[in-house]
Amino acid sequence: MIRSLRTRRSSAWSPPQSSRQKRDALFELASRIALIAERSRAYEREALSEAALVESRRALRLGLELAAAGAGADSIEAAFAANPSFTGLDPGEELELRITLVGLRGLLAREHPYALMRRMSARLGPEYFDKAEAWISYRLKRRHYHPEQLVVPGELPDIIRSLALDPRSLERCLRMAGRELCSAALAGCPQESIELAKPFFGRIGGTILEDDAAHLRSRLSGDEIAAAQSAFAEIVRSLSERGEIELGTSADFGADTAFVSGLTRAVLSLDDRLLRSALRGIDGTLLATAMQGMQPSAHDRILGAMAKRDERRLLDAIDEAQPISGNSIEEAGKRLALRLLNAAKAGRAPREALDRLSEVKSWKT
Amino acid sequence: MVQWNAELARRLSCKEDEKRQLGGLIRRFMSLARTARSEGFQALEGQVDESDDPLLVLGLRLVLEGLPEEALEDVLSTYLLAENRSGWPFLKACVIIEGLLALAGDDEPAVIAQKLVAYYGADRAVAVLEELEAELTATPVAEEDE
Repeated sequence: MIRSLRTRRSSAWSPPQSSRQKRDALFELASRIALIAERSRAYEREALSEAALVESRRALRLGLELAAAGAGADSIEAAFAANPSFTGLDPGEELELRITLVGLRGLLAREHPYALMRRMSARLGPEYFDKAEAWISYRLKRRHYHPEQLVVPGELPDIIRSLALDPRSLERCLRMAGRELCSAALAGCPQESIELAKPFFGRIGGTILEDDAAHLRSRLSGDEIAAAQSAFAEIVRSLSERGEIELGTSADFGADTAFVSGLTRAVLSLDDRLLRSALRGIDGTLLATAMQGMQPSAHDRILGAMAKRDERRLLDAIDEAQPISGNSIEEAGKRLALRLLNAAKAGRAPREALDRLSEVKSWKT
Repeated sequence: MVQWNAELARRLSCKEDEKRQLGGLIRRFMSLARTARSEGFQALEGQVDESDDPLLVLGLRLVLEGLPEEALEDVLSTYLLAENRSGWPFLKACVIIEGLLALAGDDEPAVIAQKLVAYYGADRAVAVLEELEAELTATPVAEEDE
């Protein structure tokens, strides 16, 4: 039986009813709390104090002040329950208090702002589901994410790469682990692993996974991340033993290390101006595939040199990328090298750059 | 310890002929779990349409997002209470929520059946479970025949 219903007090079965106008105003309040939650994930108490200073709604202002002073969610709820001015409220005020408390609890638990928005807007009724989704989509469009290029020792990236050969197997493991454990485990993985996992949680869920992994990377200790990775690996092992998933061989993945090193050096030998002109209008899928055959330093150089429109196209292609074989990566890298070589010749690039590009272009796969 | 909640029991109470409709709903969740395993969770999006209960449609979208189970239960039970359902509509909504939680937890179809038959009540649950388990056992044979 559903736990929250089974343990519900008899007085809590009827949620407060209020007008559409009031609920619209409370939707704005929920949005504001979600934005404070977003800032407080990055700036902690400082963000809470700043938000309290400019907050006009009394309940939220008091709650933020308490949170900034170090109070936990239970203490904040007790403080409101003990305050006579927050008892005997009309239905609209009661609803506002409930949303505020749900928001503060999520904020203190460092819940992702989009998930918190889902929780808070649920208090307004199912008719606000799509409005909350539209709010999340708007935030997604304005989101700026700069992946950290980590090279972390450990077997999880290889396990994920192997699982990705059979997408159903990777999805089984991710779903069985749940998004929270996945985020903690992926906190210690390179961006490539996150990119492989994201599509299985859809556009919103995938973004939350990526944000949470980045957030946990700075919050969890090395031991905690290692424990999460062990728990994930244990799920993989047990599903594999039961014959429920297939593990491919990681050897099928990734370009030859000498190729990766050659292509990386070739890209780094070109200046930004030449790179920008060579990559103008390039097929995003080709570039995204070729970039899988480069080291992170070359990724940074390419992203830094590209025109905004080309960069967007590239990021879209990376979002949609599927795991592919090392040979396909090398083929894409060779095509990119040819394009860069033509631009380098026209732009009178140094001899050394031309030689490196020629070498990659003629690589024998 | 089994917790009993009088208000929950009152709202769940409905006629026997209404309760018989539960079988279809339970089979639906077992089928969704099979699809999730064979074709992936994102394929579930195509398995619901506007004729379905809005709670199922919204809840499934949250399952696909990977909303953690505790948050999923919080959101769905809040929706349920906002609609102030009682009797068969309430029972049906509870089964939908329980089914969605089971899907989110990646439960096998057989486990989903075990969880959801409880809503038939103590007198009918075992018989219905035996029926559903027999169907599950028969399914692979039928597939081989094809």
